[in-house]
Amino acid sequence: MSDAPILKTADLRAKVTDEEIEILKGVDLEIRPGEIHAIMGPNGSGKSTLAKVLAGHPGYEVTGGSAFFDGQDLLELETDERARSGVFMAFQYPVAIPGVSIANFLRTALQARLEDGDELDLFDFQDILLERMELLEMSPSFAERAVNDGFSGGEKKRNEILQMAVLEPALAIMDETDSGLDIDALKVVARGVNTLQKERPEMAVLLITHYQRLLNYIQPDFVHVIVDGRIVRSGGPEVALSLEEGGYREYRQLQSTVSAA
Amino acid sequence: MQAPAARPLEGVTATINAAAVERLAAGEPDWLAERRWRAWEAYERTPLPTTRLEEWRYTDLSRKLDLDALSPAARGPRGISPEAWPPELHQAMREDWDAAGHIVEIDGRVVHADLTSEARAQGVVLASLREAVHAHPDLLREHLAARAIPPDQGKFSALNAALWTDGTVLFVPRNVTLPLPVRITRWVSDPATAYFTRTLVIGEDWSTVSVVEEILSPNFDEQAFFLSATEVLAGDNSTTHYASVQRMGLGAFHMALYRSLVGRDARTDSLHVTLGASTARLDLNSELAAPGAHSHILGLYFGNEDQHFDHCTSQNHAAPHATSDLLYKGALDDASGSVFRGIIRVSPGAQRTDAYQTNRNLLLSEEASAHALPNLEIEADDVRCSHGATVGQLEEEALFYLQSRGLSRRRAERLVVRGFLQDVLQRRPPGSVTEKVTRAIEEKLRAH
Ligand SMILES: Nc1ncnc2c1ncn2[C@@H]1O[C@H](COP(=O)(O)OP(=O)(O)OP(=O)(O)O)[C@@H](O)[C@H]1O
Ligand SMILES: [Mg+2]
Repeated sequence: MSDAPILKTADLRAKVTDEEIEILKGVDLEIRPGEIHAIMGPNGSGKSTLAKVLAGHPGYEVTGGSAFFDGQDLLELETDERARSGVFMAFQYPVAIPGVSIANFLRTALQARLEDGDELDLFDFQDILLERMELLEMSPSFAERAVNDGFSGGEKKRNEILQMAVLEPALAIMDETDSGLDIDALKVVARGVNTLQKERPEMAVLLITHYQRLLNYIQPDFVHVIVDGRIVRSGGPEVALSLEEGGYREYRQLQSTVSAA
Repeated sequence: MQAPAARPLEGVTATINAAAVERLAAGEPDWLAERRWRAWEAYERTPLPTTRLEEWRYTDLSRKLDLDALSPAARGPRGISPEAWPPELHQAMREDWDAAGHIVEIDGRVVHADLTSEARAQGVVLASLREAVHAHPDLLREHLAARAIPPDQGKFSALNAALWTDGTVLFVPRNVTLPLPVRITRWVSDPATAYFTRTLVIGEDWSTVSVVEEILSPNFDEQAFFLSATEVLAGDNSTTHYASVQRMGLGAFHMALYRSLVGRDARTDSLHVTLGASTARLDLNSELAAPGAHSHILGLYFGNEDQHFDHCTSQNHAAPHATSDLLYKGALDDASGSVFRGIIRVSPGAQRTDAYQTNRNLLLSEEASAHALPNLEIEADDVRCSHGATVGQLEEEALFYLQSRGLSRRRAERLVVRGFLQDVLQRRPPGSVTEKVTRAIEEKLRAH
């Protein structure tokens, strides 16, 4: 594995656009190719905000710090440019696009990655799509359904992983992809992620989760705990296990002493 | 010389006048000439609609239509060979799938008609109205401007019935199925000109009929006005598929009157696509005339620049146990605007009516506007009716989702619009107009 980080944030701060609500209060994160990082933290601590800020959501404004992706200043890039250079975020709440089939959507997304004038080979695309759907135990007819339109919670999450599998990102951010999945679906998703990483060992993964359950199937190299917009602890898989037992109480206390200071 | 009228007659101009009726009626059989004159009288009697009328509240004809600047189209030469047809017309026809027959109408005059020999052998009639006046007088006499759109329905039904220059009649006899559509393709080219044409579709009992009407034109510096009247008479147990695609250029005012009379246990499907012209007005009326009748109506529009579309629809339930379902969807870009005014009317005897009406609009720019005015008028008690309308904007969250997969903002917007309009087209079988309309929408989207 290479030493240069694929993602490096330093003192990353962000607030809600047009409002004075600061959410990220200085996040330092360093992820190298091939690494799997888990981020855990209580509700409202800023996990989704971090994911969205990295993806370039217009609802948040970076107020300080930096974020570099593969050596380039991530914050300089538009959302779609970030995606095309290899950032992928699986949404906590995927959005429905009525009338646009998954197949059409993914075809358009892949086409957008090509140079002007280059045409996507539709047969290759069909092959890749079918193969990926099989990996995720999705029936081929699923590709003809409109994106997230009337999907169950589990179908939405699976669809996020399908997109990730087809788009082959360098950094996959998965925001609570495990929530709402039953144990069988969780295993399918985990196997999908693990298979993708086996195929492309350089793929880095940032997993946002509340549950140790997912980490039993996708083993993280590092676990971070985020509380009130800051990473308050980083370590190995044992951090997640200790959270399972003690919850966030000790960090909250830590947090209040920090605020008091 | 006539004595000047006490009050100027609204809409009677230096060229849209009795002399114009006279010229058309000369040489026509008496019954037809009489019909024209009766229509002309109705036209003279009827004031021009103003915005004080609910149906015209958002389309101010005193600003949008300058009748004084228009002259009725000359009848034109009879034959224009295909080599002389404009390339746009050829292009539109090349994009078509198979057909049972064709009518080509240029500048208000039918210049070409063909029909498969199988259809002819089964007694199907496809002809220009001018020709049918002599070849099939009984058919016209019974149905033309008589049952579905008689002149006294309004100012413009009267105008068309008085001054039509040509058009199409399609007759499909009892028990005959016409599996492929008859395609009527129209082209108009002269500015400052008013065109009046008609289409008459007669499907006898147990017949199956399919018709596609398309109109194209260049852009106009001076307004061109196109007024058509389409009458669909659907016999008992018949099936009718109808589609119209309006792709006129800017500077045109397109006004279409469409009415279907749906017989017992008959089914009519219609799709009305509005893409072109600076001003487009559609008066659509489907009359569920007998028990078991079914009318399925789809509308699709996409406006940009300063286009103004006004759709006035009516689902008239005159008989019990009939169903109607209307879905109108449109996207509006730039400074374009649309009006949808729809009404479901259920007569006192029309028990067990099932009627639905939905209008959805998607605004793609700050200046675009849409007025959605669905309405119910129910005089029976045992009915199921519903109506709904929405005017929405592009959702930021959906656009972000698409952009986060690598689509540029523009591409994301286009994909959302395409998806939004998709379900209207999905409900039509391929081969009629779906592919063509999709392409036309893509063209507009490229401008977005
Ligand atoms: N657009 C917004 N406007 C106002 N407040 C916001 C906005 N977005 C996020 N917040 C607030 O910022 C905080 C962090 O939200 P975020 O969604 O990042 O939390 P989270 O850690 O993902 O929580 P969960 O575990 O519930 O998913 C919350 O208090 C939330 O209410
Ligand atoms: Mg969250």
